[in-house]
Amino acid sequence: MNKHTWLGKVYLWFVLILLYLPIGYLIFYSFSSGHNMNHFKQFTWLHYQTLFQDNRLLAIFLQTILLALLSGLIATAIGTAGAVMIDRLQQKRQQKVFLALNNVLMVSPDVIIGASFLIFFTALGIQLNFGSVLISHVAFSIPIVVLMVLPKLKELDHTLVDAASDLGASPHQIFSRILIPAMMPGIVVGFFMALTYSLDDFAVTFFVTGNGFTTLSVEIYSRARQGIDLEINALSTIIFLFVLVLVFIYYLLTTKRFKKNGKIGGIIK
Amino acid sequence: MKRLMIAVGAILLACLALWGASLKLTESSVASGGKRLIIYNWGDYINPALIKKFEKKTGYQVIYQTFDSNEAMYTKINQGGTAYDLTIPSDYMVTKMRRGKLLRPLDLERIPNRKYLGYDFLHKSFDVKNAYSLPYFWGTLGIVYNDRLVRRGSIKTWDDLWQRRFRHNILLVDSARDMMGMSLASMHHSMNTTNALQLHLAKAKLDQLGPNIKAIISDELKMYMIQNEAAVGVTWSGEAAEMLSNNRHLHYVLPKPYSNLWFDNFVIPKTAKNPAGAYAFINFMLNPKNAAQNAAYVGYASPVQAVWQYLPQAVRRDRSFYPTQKMVKKLMVFKDLPPQMVQKYNDLFLEFKMYAR
Repeated sequence: MNKHTWLGKVYLWFVLILLYLPIGYLIFYSFSSGHNMNHFKQFTWLHYQTLFQDNRLLAIFLQTILLALLSGLIATAIGTAGAVMIDRLQQKRQQKVFLALNNVLMVSPDVIIGASFLIFFTALGIQLNFGSVLISHVAFSIPIVVLMVLPKLKELDHTLVDAASDLGASPHQIFSRILIPAMMPGIVVGFFMALTYSLDDFAVTFFVTGNGFTTLSVEIYSRARQGIDLEINALSTIIFLFVLVLVFIYYLLTTKRFKKNGKIGGIIK
Repeated sequence: MKRLMIAVGAILLACLALWGASLKLTESSVASGGKRLIIYNWGDYINPALIKKFEKKTGYQVIYQTFDSNEAMYTKINQGGTAYDLTIPSDYMVTKMRRGKLLRPLDLERIPNRKYLGYDFLHKSFDVKNAYSLPYFWGTLGIVYNDRLVRRGSIKTWDDLWQRRFRHNILLVDSARDMMGMSLASMHHSMNTTNALQLHLAKAKLDQLGPNIKAIISDELKMYMIQNEAAVGVTWSGEAAEMLSNNRHLHYVLPKPYSNLWFDNFVIPKTAKNPAGAYAFINFMLNPKNAAQNAAYVGYASPVQAVWQYLPQAVRRDRSFYPTQKMVKKLMVFKDLPPQMVQKYNDLFLEFKMYAR
């Protein structure tokens, strides 16, 4: 038995190292004074300096985060409402149909979603700009939010809702005092998932970016023609740290707060 | 619920702050209020200092967007929904866009600086009257070799590639038109031939090159040549310029008898909202001083003749990047062939690739 756990640990570390080695390699070379990733020359902050002087790239970076936050927020609101609605459906069959439709969007390839959005926007005559990208990011983030929130509603004891309305609670009170707290962990996870979806999406964004707006992934891809320079390494390092901080915040939130509130007793205050 | 509202508020606030910051970053160089000029160009294909200079001079706010292939750019513009004022397609794409009625005819009177353009770079087959396009950068197809593995100056013609000494040591760029063109040129046939016999002969000649070929690749070619992985590579001059700046043992040759001449061109799409700004920008970029500054940054050859005076001696003397007029006259621009002919080129090249040994 002991031997097995030892083996498991080695395997775990092996996988972790395999996953993080390329990122580490990239970060390592962001400090090299050379022009490529063939030889490490000398330690330098030069690439970070050029990065911080490159206003265009920085603006794109900020816009990418802005897009992720905003689309995450909107998708969470819509997705949560959707989850409540699916949960309320009386017929099991209907529920299944809605869930299946939701899942189809989850598994369909980004390229298809992106292409269909492009056709959709141009058919409606919508200009391709920040708005079009935002709409599509919201759209592909909604299904994941629904999937994260729905299990929390299923866990909820529905007699609580009945009891509340028996005691004279208004629909608004039921929603804000019972449903929201019950769904809270799902909402938070859903928001963070939507955030990461939006941050790392390339395919959909590639189709729907247009005048005056682009995201980081699309920009880096366009630069690849000239060979990617180490400025991109520096930027990637910063993004990696940014995501690390996000994950840390998320970890704090989930372990501290919701352990207390996660129990049924904690819901009604 | 209250906590949720606070969180939502915080996120919205963060969004607002990010939006403000990004606005500030993009507009810091211009006193805004001027009109917007949207430029759609290849990634990293302009000296950013020139955009700043243009903004300061004219008061336009430049929005710079990038693409990575002619086809991607074509699709975006063809789909509509965009309002690019200026874009930079390659030669054959100019023809395609013109046929697709995506381009606005150029009013050359509004670009006085066109007089600086070298005559050899105007009136090419893809736009004979320059009614729709003016050249931005140009280049050739040629041979890069490593002087540690190949004696300097020992490669002069395309035929040299077929020598036994290069066994398993040549990298080719994965492009049907270019590679078939190379084989055709080595036999003194037109690189735009539609003669089936010539094409089959060219393919047979490529087959003979088989044992010398190490790989047929695209973007990686640059990296492999820099890392001394192969003695010889066949690629475009712009790519070559970048390799040369990374490895001093590399040299670029424009092989005899002739080679391909390609152009990236300014065009104004039909969807442009600010053609006046586009004209101003083209005119600005054709100013010899600006063109030189741009060429020094990008590393491609500029069609603006007077750029010469501003280029460093070493670059000026290098005949392979700035060939003499006599050499340029011989170079051949790819014509836009009918689809079945393009198919023929692609099929023959694919066949060659499949059985290349």
